[in-house]
Amino acid sequence: MSYSFRFNVVTDNLGFLLAGARATILVTIAALLIGMVIGLVVGMARLSKRPYVAGPATAYIEVFRNTPALVQLIWVYYCLPILTGLNMNALISCTIALAVNGSAYLAEIFRGGIQSIDRGQVEAARTLGMSHLQTMRKVVLPQAFRRMIPPFVNESVALLKFSSLVSVLGVADLTYQAQVLSTTTFRPIEIFTFIAIVYFGLCTLLSYSARRLERRLAVSD
Amino acid sequence: MGSASPSAMVRLERVSKSFGSLPVLRDIDVEVKTGEVVVLIGASGSGKTTLLRCINCLEHIDRGRIYVDGVPMGVHDESGSFRPDPERLLNHKRAQIGMVFQRFNLFAHMTALQNVTLAPMMVKKLTRGQAERLGTELLGKVGLADKLHAYPSKLSGGQQQRVAIARALAMNPKLMLFDEPTSSLDPELVGEVLETMKRLADEGMTMIVVTHVMGFAREVADRICFLHEGSILEEGPPKQIFTAPRQERTRAFLSKVL
Repeated sequence: MSYSFRFNVVTDNLGFLLAGARATILVTIAALLIGMVIGLVVGMARLSKRPYVAGPATAYIEVFRNTPALVQLIWVYYCLPILTGLNMNALISCTIALAVNGSAYLAEIFRGGIQSIDRGQVEAARTLGMSHLQTMRKVVLPQAFRRMIPPFVNESVALLKFSSLVSVLGVADLTYQAQVLSTTTFRPIEIFTFIAIVYFGLCTLLSYSARRLERRLAVSD
Repeated sequence: MGSASPSAMVRLERVSKSFGSLPVLRDIDVEVKTGEVVVLIGASGSGKTTLLRCINCLEHIDRGRIYVDGVPMGVHDESGSFRPDPERLLNHKRAQIGMVFQRFNLFAHMTALQNVTLAPMMVKKLTRGQAERLGTELLGKVGLADKLHAYPSKLSGGQQQRVAIARALAMNPKLMLFDEPTSSLDPELVGEVLETMKRLADEGMTMIVVTHVMGFAREVADRICFLHEGSILEEGPPKQIFTAPRQERTRAFLSKVL
């Protein structure tokens, strides 16, 4: 191999690249938070006995799980403004698209978590006179939440990696900054090696903190 | 309103229920007086557990009426016709009936004390302090004063079931339903749970108990109902049921379990 690595292109432009990393983290966190709220609602709706509640929830999940994330991203950015007249910048469109995509998976995670809780837990709470909502909030969700941590981390990691797609629409995330820097410095190997390491580090950190959280919550086992 | 006699805590009038095409309860008529302990016996599939679960509306009955303390369960009188209870009303009615399950159903993520204090705080709006005083007292009463902060996974089956009894008692119920409370316990742990139930009976609690422990039925029950294929085939004081059953089927059942 005759290529000589020059990583000073990375160190010289560290601030530029880290600004992209910050955008990546912000988009991912925002998408996760929004996705969780939508996912919880859709997931619980899917469990409803009423078909006119469960049906649309199922359709929502299927549509967003069975279309490519990149297509969703482009659709929200280019098509949604035309259809609705809403003008959104690329950052907001991308966050919404990622949130919606994530919410479909998160809804299934919530549903699975809730369904995994033994029916007896609900019956015990209801016979004590607790309402459906109180039972969910105090008995089912706290237990379901713990079981949801591993699949939730998987989804967070997936979303973090998906977020690199927003570079296609010109959002200045880590991948976008790397592309910009590559075209001006002609050093894509060093730059893309570096950002791969950054993505890897972020994902590993996520998994690690989730494992710690899981251990901390395991006091009742 | 039901025309239950003043001393009737529970009254079932022609209660029927099917699971799909399978009838599980057929025209059940039974009354439980205040302070009475009634034990339901019968083969599995005879409808004992379903009967119990219908009383607090964990199962919905197809026909008939169930009154607890004169109040119809699951329905209410609205200018002459019975309407299904809205959730709030049903919750209010359920809160007055304690239930103990075969598999304990303790909230797995909560300590013994938290299990007992949750419903009083959520439903009766007791303060944490009030609820914890009550919970400590009740857990002491079932012999678990030293296990207040233990999680269910750290307790034996017998201890878990006693926590479950304390949890039900914390709502100060008028009636306690026991659904095979000792069936998933190791044999050596059955006694402590039955002892707790016996004490409760002695204090005058109205109880309906589904059990396979005939010794308990004989010792504690005021009356025994023998269920067969969804009907109460025979009822009477334990002495009569155990020594001189009138029905051939009762005799056949008892010869198998005694």
